[in-house]
Amino acid sequence: MELIWYLVILAVVAIAAGFVGSLTGIGGGIIIIPVLVIFFNVPLVVAIGASVITILANSATTGSAYLHDRLTDLRIGMFLEIATVPGAIIGAVLTVYLVHADLQDALLVALGIILILLAVAGLRRIRDDAYAVAVPDRRSRRLGFFGSYHDAQLNETIAYQAADTNRALGIMFAAGLVAGMFGIGSGVLKVTALDDALKLPIKVSTATSNFMIGVTACATTGVLLAAGYVNAVLAVPVAVGATAGALMGSYILPGVRSRTVRIAFTLVLVGLSIELIIRGLGGP
Amino acid sequence: MPQTPPAAPHRELPADAYRDMTRILRIGLITALVILLGGIVAYLAENSSIGFRQMVAQNPIVHYLGLDALAQGLATGQPEAYLTLGVLVLVATPIARVVTGLYFFARNREREMALVATTVGILLFVGILVIGPFLR
Repeated sequence: MELIWYLVILAVVAIAAGFVGSLTGIGGGIIIIPVLVIFFNVPLVVAIGASVITILANSATTGSAYLHDRLTDLRIGMFLEIATVPGAIIGAVLTVYLVHADLQDALLVALGIILILLAVAGLRRIRDDAYAVAVPDRRSRRLGFFGSYHDAQLNETIAYQAADTNRALGIMFAAGLVAGMFGIGSGVLKVTALDDALKLPIKVSTATSNFMIGVTACATTGVLLAAGYVNAVLAVPVAVGATAGALMGSYILPGVRSRTVRIAFTLVLVGLSIELIIRGLGGP
Repeated sequence: MPQTPPAAPHRELPADAYRDMTRILRIGLITALVILLGGIVAYLAENSSIGFRQMVAQNPIVHYLGLDALAQGLATGQPEAYLTLGVLVLVATPIARVVTGLYFFARNREREMALVATTVGILLFVGILVIGPFLR
């Protein structure tokens, strides 16, 4: 088969992944790496390189929409990037080191386990916008980590303030590390830090997480690109397809969060992750 | 019991901070996608006989990661050089957003937040320009 047809198939798969990922709220990018490795026999680190390009394109699309709506807390987002960026750089360096040490199989097993954990965590965490009252810590008060946003559905202004910044920094470093190692957005971990540690409303958490994912992916992409593991010919159809699919999902079916689709998507992701683990363990 | 400091007077970032960052992300994304799509069309036109596995194994852009090679490739119309440029624009977009944040925090006289943005910028430059090439 000619190269162009491989790229067309990749773009179609990426559109479907982006569409369903947007519909379920899990994100389609997470499924791209296992698909590239299992069905296209792409080396894991090259698949990671294609995935981070996809995340960069996706976060610029969704991040700018949230910024435009002023749901993003710029101050909190930029502060937490102090933890995610070094995490991502260390993660990307670890991945390159493992590849150079011929330990890709260990990386495949680790990725399979991480994807299963994130898929299950993604299923668990849907809740409404009622959030616990936050007690701001010293840093949060000093840096002015509080704000408000207008909730169009409730038609009221919601005020918030950030709580435990030390715990949030710790979780964000872990999120950066996972994102850098495996080329995924780690949105679930980032939202956990913003939601559970800082006690921000879920809409602000989601918007701020999207804002941060771009800079985290930028750190990972920069390291992998300079190390020679970003293949643009492979990445372009995946990035364009996944971004188009995500846009279609958000425009065609706004607000739809079908539990059935979400569970089906999670099952597919878990199945692909198990295949990654089997391959990493030397299975057929 | 330790005294908690009083909350700092909340300086709302001006509306143009949000507007400018939104514009930077959109312009960066569109510019990158136009260059990348143009590059891939030209690449496919010039490399119609190459196989998928060969393309993955070779990584067409790897020779254009240095400034001299990139400039020469762009000047001579090499599709791989344009693909590299598109990726670089995509990577530069969040960095431009961080620099814009630094500008607005400095303009708003928020020294600590300006320091935060500067630190993020330095970390990105160290990761991309120092650590990455060292791994090649």
